[in-house]
Amino acid sequence: MIIMAGTLDFLSINVWHILMAIGNLLILVLILKKFLFKPVQKILKEREEEIGKTYSDADKALSEANAEKELYLKKLDDAKSEADNMIKTASERAKAESAEIISDARAEAERRRRNADEDIELAKKKAADEMRDSISEMVISLAEQVVEKEIDPKAHESLIDDAIESLGE
Amino acid sequence: MSNIEVNGAKILLELPFGISITETQVNMWLVMAAIAAVCAWLTHGLKVRPTSKRQIIAEYIVKTAENFVTGNMGARWKWFTPYIAALFSLAMFSSLISLLGMYPPTSDLNTTMGWALMTFVLITFYKIKTNGPLGYAKSLTEPIFIMTPMNILGEIATPISMAFRMFGNVASGTVVSLLVYAALAAANNALFGWLPGILGEMAGKLPILQLGVPAILSLYFDVFSGVLQAFIFCMLTMLYIASAAETSD
Repeated sequence: MIIMAGTLDFLSINVWHILMAIGNLLILVLILKKFLFKPVQKILKEREEEIGKTYSDADKALSEANAEKELYLKKLDDAKSEADNMIKTASERAKAESAEIISDARAEAERRRRNADEDIELAKKKAADEMRDSISEMVISLAEQVVEKEIDPKAHESLIDDAIESLGE
Repeated sequence: MSNIEVNGAKILLELPFGISITETQVNMWLVMAAIAAVCAWLTHGLKVRPTSKRQIIAEYIVKTAENFVTGNMGARWKWFTPYIAALFSLAMFSSLISLLGMYPPTSDLNTTMGWALMTFVLITFYKIKTNGPLGYAKSLTEPIFIMTPMNILGEIATPISMAFRMFGNVASGTVVSLLVYAALAAANNALFGWLPGILGEMAGKLPILQLGVPAILSLYFDVFSGVLQAFIFCMLTMLYIASAAETSD
């Protein structure tokens, strides 16, 4: 090995130097592959995968959310119709009950009115009987005084009654 | 007038079997080490959800390179991206290294010839793979048999023209810069050298005129030309290989 100070000609061809230039180029290809292209391409691929995963996750979540939304809408509808049903039956029942109460009240009122009528009739009859009795006594005493003779009430009772009847009521 | 000497790369180490290590190789290794270091720095601690600017830059570089390759060659050539990326970065930074005052490996014909031969091998490989060995041999005799030597010359001309295009651009930049620098030194000497006594001697040696112009030239020859030639080399490589792999029928 000799260290030499000298220069090549401006234009020179040296097979070893040509081979070294090719070798250097190929080595640099390997260097760039290992230190630049491989790592960057790896990271780009990973990113692509992550983005793809994110997209599919988002799609999945969206479809799930849509399905749940459908479910909730259906449930909401069901609840609404159920509530409607409940209100309807409740109001029907209330109507029926109120009708029953009213008819009961009417019947009660009718019954009470009838009782009152009967009472009134009874009282009237009683009053009329009393009046007739006192009138017949009065008539008898009057007639006794007129004929100055005792009138046997038993004997004339029917007569007197007829008289009072004809006086009217 | 100073003597101007245009030389190739300095030989740093001579090994047996005629192998020698020159500035070309050493500088290329430096470039490769720098690229590797930058890549390793950009891609350490990558996260699926990026939090660092480094990662965004790394992803941008990878995507841009992939789009560059698939845009020119088609989607089925995506696996080819690291080769083009390596070629482009190595060619570009090997030219740009001259901004640091170092010898650009791309101004050594051996470098560009090596890369061009690599392209040639790939072109030929895909032509043979696509058309079969017989089909490839037959394509050289078309349209008529007498054109065979011309066709073979055409095949060989592709890598040679690619190698010399890049080499010529970078090396000529160095040469032109050298010439302009020398010319400016001479003009500087002539302009200020007439001052009397020691003053003239000093002013004549001070690089006054050399201040601005070489910087502008360097902007073209080192930056613009270096990037452009790397781009052209990659484009040609991609287009040649893609068309070589295309079925002719």
